[in-house]
Amino acid sequence: MLDRRLPAPLTLTALAVVIGILVTTPLLINNNVFHHTLILIGIYAALAQAWNILGGFAGQISLGNAIFFGIGAYTSSLLLVRAQLSPWLGALAGMALAMVLALLIGYPVFRLAGHYLAIATIALAEIALVVFQNLEFVGGAAGISLPITRDMQGRPTDSWWMLQFNSSKLPYVYLALGVLGVVQVVATLLDRSWIGFFLRAIKNDQTAAAAIGVPVARYKLIALLISSACTALIGTFYAQYLLFVDPETVFGLSLSVLIALVAILGGAGSLWGPFLGAVVLIPLAEATRSQLGGRGTAFDLVIYGLLIMVIAVFQPAGLTGLPERFRPRQRTSVAPAAPADTQMEESLRS
Amino acid sequence: MSLLEVTDLTMAFGGLVANDRISFTLHEGEVLGVIGPNGAGKTTLFACIAGFLKPTRGQVRFAGEDITGMRPDRICRRGLVRTFQIVRALPDLTVLQNVMVGAFLRTHAMREARQIAEEVLAFTGLEARAHTPGKNLTIADKKRLEVARALATQPRLLMLDEVMSGLNAQERQQAVTLVRAIQRRGISILLIEHIMDVLLPLSNRVLVLNYGKKIAEGSPDSITRNPEVIAAYLGSSYASPS
Ligand SMILES: Nc1ncnc2c1ncn2[C@@H]1O[C@H](COP(=O)(O)OP(=O)(O)O)[C@@H](O)[C@H]1O
Ligand SMILES: [Mg+2]
Repeated sequence: MLDRRLPAPLTLTALAVVIGILVTTPLLINNNVFHHTLILIGIYAALAQAWNILGGFAGQISLGNAIFFGIGAYTSSLLLVRAQLSPWLGALAGMALAMVLALLIGYPVFRLAGHYLAIATIALAEIALVVFQNLEFVGGAAGISLPITRDMQGRPTDSWWMLQFNSSKLPYVYLALGVLGVVQVVATLLDRSWIGFFLRAIKNDQTAAAAIGVPVARYKLIALLISSACTALIGTFYAQYLLFVDPETVFGLSLSVLIALVAILGGAGSLWGPFLGAVVLIPLAEATRSQLGGRGTAFDLVIYGLLIMVIAVFQPAGLTGLPERFRPRQRTSVAPAAPADTQMEESLRS
Repeated sequence: MSLLEVTDLTMAFGGLVANDRISFTLHEGEVLGVIGPNGAGKTTLFACIAGFLKPTRGQVRFAGEDITGMRPDRICRRGLVRTFQIVRALPDLTVLQNVMVGAFLRTHAMREARQIAEEVLAFTGLEARAHTPGKNLTIADKKRLEVARALATQPRLLMLDEVMSGLNAQERQQAVTLVRAIQRRGISILLIEHIMDVLLPLSNRVLVLNYGKKIAEGSPDSITRNPEVIAAYLGSSYASPS
């Protein structure tokens, strides 16, 4: 947001360096594990940024963003398997469906006072999980494998149109970074527009926001629509990368919670928090997962939940808030007067 | 021309009737003062008019339109804005950003909103605080920010809820000057204060509430001579600044 940024030249330089590193290192370090990790970082940073627009900017906590991810992944995959439709078009269909669902959730929920969004999204993701596990039409619990794109001779091949690359992970690396770039740009533009101001006003104090003309429910819904569309897009990309979708992976609670954790660890509400959170957490999560074996265990969830609580208590501003914490306190003549002011405020209550 | 017309407005919280069949009219360009002891129902009246509470009975008309029970943001868009007695500065936003939120009601252009906000900050004497986060302001500056943010929405009617309580003599004088300047801009004002000495010189007309009922209405002079008003205030500390 305005006034909280580094000076423009510094920001641009930092941005250029980060982009430069992201673009060149995959070429220099041509290693499958490294590429896989980069892809996951891109995916989770993008997912966390999509969550951040809703949870960080607007303060509307969703613990079920997996529902939109799953819709994106399943919509493009089913359209591909059943109708040979390009995943690019499938992605658009998935985003549209996710937004329709977001509207159906958000319209009633945002008209109620209180934190029903978290409950509503968790509940719907869990319902989707059970439904998809039991619907044969969508592959049931076993999920769907996507067909390999082949050339005339029947050999696996690469195709931008079918969004599939069988010779190397490198295109997926750049696609993941591209998706992250898109979501990052969306968040940045929002942050610097009236929408960002309205969302932050809503997060700070929605009664005060309404008093000065902010249509609170409408802007919460806008944040949810944007968040859901971005999340669905990433879902399609993820399915294309794995060439496989299954209900537990894409609708599971542990995915929803991990998305929130990445954003909260990095710094909810900050533009670079989600990226930072993913850079720190995803390699760790990958390393421990291969150590402990298996995903979707309740164990993941316990660890994630504990981490969120620890951050909420000790460092609510996340990693991006750390410099602020260790910076020497600014001189504020105001601070000592605060208790007296508070008392006066109390005595005026009537 | 009457800008605001309140008719038989009643607001009951369970058995407690905070506003009891209140009727009054505010004319364009006027400063209408509302006084009454703590608990008289002044803040409740504001909340009902501005859409934060749905009145149990009665009607609120603004600029000829029935706005009873309308959402606060819609009412604000029509040009009626309130401030909060318990100040609500947006804590993580700077003073400038707080005011820009209000300015974005009339424009979606960043530069224009910033321009409106800067102009309002200069007008309200808050420029020096422009980059201070809302949470770090003194109570006097928070009250001023309430007014600035409301002004940025470019209202026709500004409802000020005790913006002068809790201020020292000098700050209160600045606030009085500000209210006069706002009126000169052609903005009508509905002004709540429970301190008579502050309110009377500012008001064209005065409305007196007690226990939820309107007990008097008239010129500041006639109010001070009204026996019922004197009775309501007798022996209380509200008659003069504490
Ligand atoms: N939300 C509420 N629920 C129940 N009672 C309320 C509520 N708001 C105000 N009241 C009561 O209504 C009466 C009038 O309060 P208020 O309008 O704040 O008075 P004033 O602003 O004149 O001091 C008080 O008795 C108060 O306790
Ligand atoms: Mg009051």
